[in-house]
Amino acid sequence: MKPIFRTIAIAILAGTAALPSFAQTGKTPTLPGLDSDVIEQWGGEEGVRNWVESLFYYIMLDNRINHIFREFGNIERQIFLNTQLEMMVLGAGTEYQGASMAAAHADLGITVTQFNAVVEAAYNACERVNLTYEACNQLIAALAPLERVIVTR
Amino acid sequence: MFNTGKVLATGGVSMIDGAGGGGITPWATITGYATRDGINGDLHYTYAPLANYTLHSVGAAVGFWDRFELSYAHSTLTTGSTFDTVGLVADTAGGLTGQLAGTPINTGIEPFNTTIEMDIIGAKVRVFGEAIYDSDNLIPQVAIGGFYKKNKNDELLTTLKAAKTKDWEAYISATKIFFPINTLINITARYTAANQTGLVGFGGPSDEDKEIRPEISLAYLLRKDTVIGVEWAKHGDNLEGESVEIAGLNLTELQPTLETLGLGNLSGTLTQHESDWFDAFIAYFPNKNLSMTFAYAMLGDITITPDQHGFYLSLQASF
Repeated sequence: MKPIFRTIAIAILAGTAALPSFAQTGKTPTLPGLDSDVIEQWGGEEGVRNWVESLFYYIMLDNRINHIFREFGNIERQIFLNTQLEMMVLGAGTEYQGASMAAAHADLGITVTQFNAVVEAAYNACERVNLTYEACNQLIAALAPLERVIVTR
Repeated sequence: MFNTGKVLATGGVSMIDGAGGGGITPWATITGYATRDGINGDLHYTYAPLANYTLHSVGAAVGFWDRFELSYAHSTLTTGSTFDTVGLVADTAGGLTGQLAGTPINTGIEPFNTTIEMDIIGAKVRVFGEAIYDSDNLIPQVAIGGFYKKNKNDELLTTLKAAKTKDWEAYISATKIFFPINTLINITARYTAANQTGLVGFGGPSDEDKEIRPEISLAYLLRKDTVIGVEWAKHGDNLEGESVEIAGLNLTELQPTLETLGLGNLSGTLTQHESDWFDAFIAYFPNKNLSMTFAYAMLGDITITPDQHGFYLSLQASF
């Protein structure tokens, strides 16, 4: 087998094997694209981190979903990793060091109702940290495709 | 089974035919706040006082598993003094033409406040696509649906020359939210022969075939609980340029008679027209149990009266 075909074959096999835990590694390619100054709109990494802290505040107050996050434990680490994830999907070039969203949620049987509850918490968090609705929707757009891998029921 | 898991406002409002959507156009979204995990329903009341007519639409709809929707609406269109002239002419002409003497002419027009009533049942099924979360592709959420409409004013519709009083219509809708630009777009193609959505019946003297008419809703998401937008719905021309018909007589044939009475200008005012419908709206969703839509509706010519523009209020209660 010529080296080039072997390389392709390995790439396809590796790709197939990787599918169940497909992990996003960069900015979400939304259509239309995100604003070029979206990180500034969000107040940089500190702004994103403030939002994630607010997000977990609202999540932990919501009886529909708080038990799921409590089971993971270590909320501080979840906030740390979520900040990385949010920065990455917004296109800050940040590396996300946590498990892929698919892998992290595979066994949880998350419903679309529970996913939507997190979206509601996300909007509440945006208001809490005085982000505009328009800036908030940039992140909603960047996170929205994760619904396909997080919701498994 | 009962579920209210959709994000605020994403169930849409109730359009005048009773389906989930905008104000005059059905969308591909399934009504109510149920996700695929359950069932949810809503009631609506819509009030649109126009120049010569007032539309009341009251109805109920249920969404099943964010997949299937059933709806019912009852429309009442009070016509005020709109058709009084027709009634007057009918009486006058009936007396003068002799051939109708002694035969009561039933035009379906009451002495005052002739009211048009219509029942509408609707069903919609979501076929594919995800309107909200698939922000990384351009595939819209697509649904197909239909209405069966039964107009109860047989005699008035005969006077207005509509071919049918009851008919069905079918539609396909594509809806997509573009979060990066806070915009929702819906495009609908409706296969119908309706005159003024069926309030003036279906089809006309020379054409009762259905045709495909486009409808578009453009909405801007202003806040998580407030949406503004515009809508356009193409309307037909089945009755365009038609006069009214009284006891088998086309009124244009009565022109000489009317002129000898000094009523010649009446035949012009008795010519029917139909315009496309437009509206501009703001919808407010204070919570998942209530939405309020305020609009300005520009419905143009309706039967024999022009410039039917006016405010529109729609309330929806969800449970």
